[in-house]
Amino acid sequence: MRRAKFTTNSYGYLFIAPFIIGFLLFGLYPVYHTLTLSLTNTTMMTRQAEFIGLENFQRLFADDFFMKAVTNSWLIWTLNFLPQIGIALLLAAWFTDVRLKIRATGTWRTLFFLPNLLMPAAVAALFFSLFSYYGPVNQFMVQAGLQSEAVHYLQEVISTRGLVVFIQWWTWFGWTTIIIMAGMTAIPTHLYEAAMVDGASAGQMFRRITLPLLKPILIFVFVTSLVGGMTMFDIPFLLTDGRGSPASSIMTNNILMYLKFSSSKGHIAFASSVGVLVFIMTTACALGFFYLLRDREPKAPAKAEEQLAKISARQGEPA
Amino acid sequence: MISRYRLETLGMRTIVYVFLVLLLVITVIPIWLLVVNATRSTTEIQQGISALPSTHLFENFRILESKGLNMGRGFTNSLFVAAASTVVAVYFGFLTAYGIVIYNFRGRNLFMGFVVLLVLIPMQFSIVGFFHYMSRFGLTDNYAALILPLLASAASVFFAKQYLESVVVQELIDAARIDGASEIGIFHRVMMPLAIPGMATLAIFAFVAAWNNFFNAFILISSIDKYTLPMMVQTLRGDVYRTEYGAIYLGLAITVVPILVMYAFFSRYIISGIAMGAIKE
Repeated sequence: MRRAKFTTNSYGYLFIAPFIIGFLLFGLYPVYHTLTLSLTNTTMMTRQAEFIGLENFQRLFADDFFMKAVTNSWLIWTLNFLPQIGIALLLAAWFTDVRLKIRATGTWRTLFFLPNLLMPAAVAALFFSLFSYYGPVNQFMVQAGLQSEAVHYLQEVISTRGLVVFIQWWTWFGWTTIIIMAGMTAIPTHLYEAAMVDGASAGQMFRRITLPLLKPILIFVFVTSLVGGMTMFDIPFLLTDGRGSPASSIMTNNILMYLKFSSSKGHIAFASSVGVLVFIMTTACALGFFYLLRDREPKAPAKAEEQLAKISARQGEPA
Repeated sequence: MISRYRLETLGMRTIVYVFLVLLLVITVIPIWLLVVNATRSTTEIQQGISALPSTHLFENFRILESKGLNMGRGFTNSLFVAAASTVVAVYFGFLTAYGIVIYNFRGRNLFMGFVVLLVLIPMQFSIVGFFHYMSRFGLTDNYAALILPLLASAASVFFAKQYLESVVVQELIDAARIDGASEIGIFHRVMMPLAIPGMATLAIFAFVAAWNNFFNAFILISSIDKYTLPMMVQTLRGDVYRTEYGAIYLGLAITVVPILVMYAFFSRYIISGIAMGAIKE
């Protein structure tokens, strides 16, 4: 009997076998290959490559363009992530508020999510057209008297960067709202009822119940967004000339990697080292964030109940 | 007191609705302009903004085709790659998830933890190594290099696992075993019919992801007759179409409208699908 059970369960290995084979061939080996490439001087032109140790990485650290790409990626990501998470929290709080009773929350969410499904390449080309010198935005601004004359939006550092930040925000705030709302509706209502009975304000409940219980969701949103931000390519690549113009202000990590990859000699070893470094940087930041937000106390719900006890204790004090 | 409470709620509600409408305008205007401008002539577009469509759709299409860009070909290519990617991602995603959910094999939890980790690591980090390695097998400029990696699509497995956990009926599986069905036969004939709604939702996600994928195709595919739609968008951005605004907008609309239509039908599944992917972990 025991033996029979064992054989049935080992069928599991057969079911996951295609995944493992696929992963080894198309996931793990390319990672290993990228890593070894980054330690050589391989180009697309040469057959023979030499092992050169960490030379590529030394060159990268000395390369102003690499530093610029990393700074740009962080800047663009941070500037879009903060308003994205802020507005998502606000919308989710409003949509789930029993007192406000906002109508048709499903429809609002559905519409706000729409930009996320559109092809990023097409979105970049669309905004390029909208913000071009003869484009609709200039037409509107001049006709409405908000600008005295048309502006070369995509030749100015601030407006170009601002536009990439805006497009990223526009694409992702709906997604973040849906995720956070799902997290909020999963919080047991009795916690809020108890807090309300104890006279907690809406703000108190948000800070002491909602935020702590939302932590796993917030970590998920943070990490996925960070990985996306550090590998951002389509929008900044297709919005201007594909080199991050003007003045390399929207040249991101992946654009730099592509530029090295597609250079006339095809410096793929050098391009690999960009990928490796960005990977290390992103993983380190994600892990650091996990560490900062780790549960110091055993369980999040327990913590919230405890906070609740604190609130009620405080409310009780003056009496 | 009660009336003041009501007044406050009413005031707050008004502010919220104003804010929502504002957000909606920002969200929709670019998309609306895209669709409307696809039907307007270049002259009309240059004259000013309009919220209403015009009648130059076919003229724009003629111009679009006349400059050497075969959008029809790109559309078919994209459709093929996206459909094949979807089939592979959905079938193998559910196959792997079924293995995890049903069989209590050694290392199961470790494997699941590993899948979750993989969800967070995108392929872009190692795309250069991937390209170089594919080129050894002559698989660059081949759709196989875009489709086969989806055998190990961690996000699909994660989604399928979340879904299967809520629909699996152990009694049905046991009954099928007693009837002498093979394990893989149970997956195909008992489980898959039960999991159709979840498979459909995952299929939508997989299709959109493959349809919109620019970076991987851009790195791996080189011959023009294999270009997918996002790669053609890059051409639209180039010098050939510089002043043909109507045609440019139409070209972009062609890439976007199929997704809009799909969303009109399946938005409910998409929204609940996203929520399901994040929750319960």
